[in-house]
Amino acid sequence: MRTNDVIVIGGGLAGLTAAITAAGRGKSVRLMTSGTGALAIGGGAIDILGYQEDGTLVKNARTGLSSLSPEHPYSKAGSQAIEEAVAFFLTLCQEEGFSYTGSLDQIQWLPTALGTLKPSCLVPESMDITPVKQADHVIVVGFTRLKDYFPELIIKGLSRIPGYQKDYEQVTVDPGFTGGRDVTTVDIARWLDTLQGQQACREQLQHHIKPGSAVIIPPVLGSRPSYAVRDTLEKILRCKFVETTVMPTAVVGLRLRAMLLARAKKLGVTIMEQAHVTRVVKDGNSVTSVVTSNIDRERAYQTKSVILATGGFYGGGIVADINSVNEAILNLPVAAPADREDWGTLKLFSGSAQPFAKIGVAVDSSLRPVNAQGQVLLENVYIAGRNLAGYDYCLEKSGNGVALVTGYKAGLSC
Amino acid sequence: MKKHHENPDSCTTCTSCVVHCPVTQAVREFRGPKLAGPAGERFRLLEDEYDAALQYCSNCKNCDISCPSQVPISTLNMKARAKYYKTHKQPFRDWILSHGEQMAKMASLTPGLANLGMNNFISRAVLKGLGVSDKAPLPEYASETFSKQFKRIKQKPSANKAIFYPGCFVNYNQPEVGLDVVAVLQANDFEVIVPEDLVCCSSPLVVNGYMDEAEANARKNIGILEKYVQMGYPIITACTSCGLMLKQEYQELFEIEGVEQVASRIYDIAEFLLELYDEGNLNTNFVKQNGKFMYHAPCHLRVQGIGKPSLELLRMLPGIEVIDADAGCCGISGNYGFKEDKYDIAMAIGSNLFETIKASGIKTVLSECGTCRQQIGHGAGVKTVHPISLVRAAYGNK
Repeated sequence: MRTNDVIVIGGGLAGLTAAITAAGRGKSVRLMTSGTGALAIGGGAIDILGYQEDGTLVKNARTGLSSLSPEHPYSKAGSQAIEEAVAFFLTLCQEEGFSYTGSLDQIQWLPTALGTLKPSCLVPESMDITPVKQADHVIVVGFTRLKDYFPELIIKGLSRIPGYQKDYEQVTVDPGFTGGRDVTTVDIARWLDTLQGQQACREQLQHHIKPGSAVIIPPVLGSRPSYAVRDTLEKILRCKFVETTVMPTAVVGLRLRAMLLARAKKLGVTIMEQAHVTRVVKDGNSVTSVVTSNIDRERAYQTKSVILATGGFYGGGIVADINSVNEAILNLPVAAPADREDWGTLKLFSGSAQPFAKIGVAVDSSLRPVNAQGQVLLENVYIAGRNLAGYDYCLEKSGNGVALVTGYKAGLSC
Repeated sequence: MKKHHENPDSCTTCTSCVVHCPVTQAVREFRGPKLAGPAGERFRLLEDEYDAALQYCSNCKNCDISCPSQVPISTLNMKARAKYYKTHKQPFRDWILSHGEQMAKMASLTPGLANLGMNNFISRAVLKGLGVSDKAPLPEYASETFSKQFKRIKQKPSANKAIFYPGCFVNYNQPEVGLDVVAVLQANDFEVIVPEDLVCCSSPLVVNGYMDEAEANARKNIGILEKYVQMGYPIITACTSCGLMLKQEYQELFEIEGVEQVASRIYDIAEFLLELYDEGNLNTNFVKQNGKFMYHAPCHLRVQGIGKPSLELLRMLPGIEVIDADAGCCGISGNYGFKEDKYDIAMAIGSNLFETIKASGIKTVLSECGTCRQQIGHGAGVKTVHPISLVRAAYGNK
């Protein structure tokens, strides 16, 4: 009988982190995914905590974390797990040749395609805004036909922010794409993966660069988890690049996912794509096997423990219909306001947490699911990521942070 | 609602499929699976709108693999393509490439002559004139079909019976793969039945829009296989595209009675052997072999949701090392890469895989899909083998 120490359900940031952490401890891990999830198209920065629940900006992640409610996933995981997860992630990225920068003690402000600054915590080196702060002359690069990206908007926005009044110059690079399809950052990143692309980009930029220039560019400096494209261009052009954060598809998530998959593969994680898990088999308070249900038949996979990282409403981990709200696979209780009227505050962008966003599975300090009385429901199941109760990632800017920390914690607990 | 429904509104336009589509990456003229599939379908439901870029879809199914909402994107494309050809003229080239079974039947009468005939420069020039690339080597026909050779095998009788669906490539091009399957099943105390009258699974018909013929084949195969399923026998495939068609695409494309029962008993040969292992019934008297191999998982396996059973099985064999290439689609997608106007695209799609193989220095690549093996041999200049052949060798080639 093939045995699994742990089956991880979900291949997003939480699931991959859990799989890597558990496999790193010598566990035999099977990772089941259904679709590639938001990680691949997302921004790839690890926001830990930008705002409190009432919408006030934190001084830094560490001070913000200390004042969270005990029901918040960070509080459940505990401060030690948070510290360790951050160190674990930074080390992993460095070892894989795609270093991230940042710490719990400072906010990393990321320039957005709208010309605003967004608070984050652990960011790829290529998104560190320091070169822009230090430069007098800042080139803001756009690309011909690139969707939803307007350098003039970035210049206008940044110019209004104290410390960012610079000598801005707008440059449009033409990749010379044919065909009727919209141009995305992924297309440009793949173009810049090629030597011809790098050369063409360099030729179009070089006349604008002055000594000490900083270049703000969408996240297009290569599609792979490496800084090779950025390093090549910086060396030849003698300037510093800063990648902005953009709407999906945002390339950086694609790089991050590729890096994590490569790491999981090195650690011997068995990855199953399109494995649609629908239920589990239990023995008392333990899960003994995980069952997939594809179009042909069900298949059961035995396991000693399960990490559930199936996402929230959007990812399909939490499902609501007219009369009920459930966790999708184990049918775990999900705490939600009884009256649907109370699921949302009337103002969507009210600057305070939305009740619907906090709907999820309640857990103990090992991330095992608990009932309303706090009793553990399943001894060998651990919850990680967006299906956890008690946080509004959108308001807090904590999405990838919670995924990383709880994925790490689950990978340690299983 | 059916398990695999066709509602394009399940698409949330998240764009995961576009990011992971190898054709989108290789060619700018393709608008991508999202627009060609669910978004285009919304327009097609309103009026007979056809997007010429739909022709670029290779049905490799990486869009389905990446979709978080389980939209059968590639099947939407195939149905739209078939509908288009109901009212538009189709190149004769497509008929040739999708009727490999008929071509093979003719060729099998005189295989030596057929190979001579297919591969000489005059025939290639004629085929090129029809739109078949002269750069892609065509699979060679075997001197004797699998079905014929199978009949001569004196099997050890057993109460355990398994049905083997060989498919066209095994039957006409590489019968040795089928012989290996039979030998491995015999080594595990299974008596193999290969039903007569099984026809092409219709994968090449579906991708070229011959949907009526595809349905006729599907009905015929299901009719035959259903009887054996009722007798409780499993159905084994060794070609991942045949397996996918039999268990999944038939259900997505057609309404055929019994299709679900048949689907529930379709096994990839390695998956079947792993289940025997889980039950404690796999013959694990493996002899030690030597060598380092690279494994390529066909896209049509990855979309099945069963992981990479061959890789799990191969790693149980003593003495050999198997590395997972994990380098994406090979580009061939059945007969896509044989088309004159698609050859370069197919080679561009496969380039990452070819480079990965070349960089490894490994000389033999394992893969379940016959046309994947063909394309890998062509693109990376290596020997290619079906994984089951290594399993048979581990039983001492008995």
